[in-house]
Amino acid sequence: MRSWEDIQAGSFFEANARERAFGIVDKNTFTELLNPRDRQASPHLPVLGEAIGFDDGIVTGVGLIGKRPIFVVSQEGRFIGGAVGEVGGAKMVATLKLALQTYEEVKKQYPDSYQDRLPAVVISFETGGVRLHEANAGLLAHAEVMDLFQDARHKIPVISVIGSKVGAFGGMGFVAGAADVVIMSEQGRMGLTGPEVIEQEVGKDEFDASNKALVYRTTGGKHKYILNDCNFLVKDQVGAFRKQLTEVLEQPFEQIEQYRRIGSMELVQEQIELVDTAAKLEPKDAMDIWKYFGNEEPAKLPELSVEQFLKVAKRRPRKN
Amino acid sequence: MEEMIGRGRDAIEMIVDQNSFQEHTIESYSFDPEFGPGSVVGTATLNGRLVTVIANDAEAFNPRFPVVFAGVIGLEEGYKMATAVYRTIEADRDKELSEKRPIILIVDTPGNGPGKVEEIIGMNKSTGAYQLALAEARKAGHPIVAIVIGRAISGAFLCHGLQADHILSLSKDFGTMIHVMPITSISRITKLDIERLEELAEENPVFAAGVNFFYRLGGVQEIIENLEDMRTVIDKHVSEIYEIKAKGEYEKLGPWGRGLLGAERGGRISRKTVIDKMANEFAAVKSKYLNA
Repeated sequence: MRSWEDIQAGSFFEANARERAFGIVDKNTFTELLNPRDRQASPHLPVLGEAIGFDDGIVTGVGLIGKRPIFVVSQEGRFIGGAVGEVGGAKMVATLKLALQTYEEVKKQYPDSYQDRLPAVVISFETGGVRLHEANAGLLAHAEVMDLFQDARHKIPVISVIGSKVGAFGGMGFVAGAADVVIMSEQGRMGLTGPEVIEQEVGKDEFDASNKALVYRTTGGKHKYILNDCNFLVKDQVGAFRKQLTEVLEQPFEQIEQYRRIGSMELVQEQIELVDTAAKLEPKDAMDIWKYFGNEEPAKLPELSVEQFLKVAKRRPRKN
Repeated sequence: MEEMIGRGRDAIEMIVDQNSFQEHTIESYSFDPEFGPGSVVGTATLNGRLVTVIANDAEAFNPRFPVVFAGVIGLEEGYKMATAVYRTIEADRDKELSEKRPIILIVDTPGNGPGKVEEIIGMNKSTGAYQLALAEARKAGHPIVAIVIGRAISGAFLCHGLQADHILSLSKDFGTMIHVMPITSISRITKLDIERLEELAEENPVFAAGVNFFYRLGGVQEIIENLEDMRTVIDKHVSEIYEIKAKGEYEKLGPWGRGLLGAERGGRISRKTVIDKMANEFAAVKSKYLNA
């Protein structure tokens, strides 16, 4: 594997799941749990004639940022599109469970200073959701992850990181959106229904999945940033993601929880207002929404560098 | 066999006490009847006990979001269902555990709203919001029972069903469908023919569509063979869930409980191996991370 320094300077998009996991935490602090040498591959793939991966397409482990244990899940899109099966799903579930157990232990061991040692969960998404070769088990695992997200509420921060090729779609699209904080790059994408499926459902005239600009306008990092579905937009560099993550974790947890988009009656009310806006506006394109939120020349936004974009982009106003 | 697909409203009447269902109402809160027509929410009694009911309406069409028909859960529908759950939590906030009213989910949905506007606005948040609300209600003590009467498909089932304490299903004789993708699609992707896949599914329930496979994976607690039994079986599970929660054994319920059940029934073996191995490996390095 490349050195930690090389990974920091390099593209997040181009990095593989293991490099992202290793690079998102402090230098040389990452320990992979259930690494490929454990050979915990999917028992279901060979039956259907599919090749296996010794990590089942998902890297899990623990590292540090300062004194804080950071529990990391990093999905690998190069293995069956990062789709989640029984083993990969259980690896996510186990990571969340360990983070919650560590929270209890840290609290017990450091009753007065546990805030400085508060564990966090970081998930780098690169998946379309359920793996069809073991769809039923994958589906059930998704529900477990959501359940544990709720267990983590008011205890430890859960942070989604999206900067990969595949993005976060299908069931993992709502998992990503259910975290406390979402950090994306421009290249990152988050949604529920992938572009090809939308085209199939509504027709090529309304949605052409081969139109990359359209796909990015609909689900990409810049759009999600304007909508406030993504809290922080960073450039495509592992170090930029790590820096943003570190800055978030320096904030008090109560403040981190303010970044949420869903998870309470008040937040649902706020989202319903956005849905009402959409019903009235009937946007034909994401740019209609950008304009509605005060971006006078929306067509120029996709062309801007992240730095320029962050200076000029107007976002959906939040309550409070 | 009398099928229930597309008949969410009929199912409500068959399950709750006669004429007890009050749509659009949870305690003092009233829903706008125009909002989220693809889902049905309200209050009823079941054997005299107050319950919140959440169902799909396959006959409704949402004129503002035209992808919503045939029971699809759209942007409005997901948030409406989430609101029903939060209002239920609010209504019973100060009550004892044994007084927290049950939530009954009647499941017959083919999917989450697929569309351009849905993606622009963020359909992932609507379905996610509902799931977080249900998980919160479950952990606050409300017994949540889901009953699959028709279609429980993929992400829509995750949204409406898979966060329940217990999941029940009408048997496959009623045409019930629980799956991510039909076997024809799996055949196309794996390039194996359907007969071979059906053979394989008998030994390994993880990929094929069907209620019985979900049962073996722990995804369905109990299968119901007669429509007349829906009421009594739901009520039985509500009582069981109250007892389990009174003992504080929340891990026996919900998604985690289904994981344990899946291992017990032999359908999901790897899950437990993975969780145990990772716990052991972490234990070996733990002090480095706890005492940094």
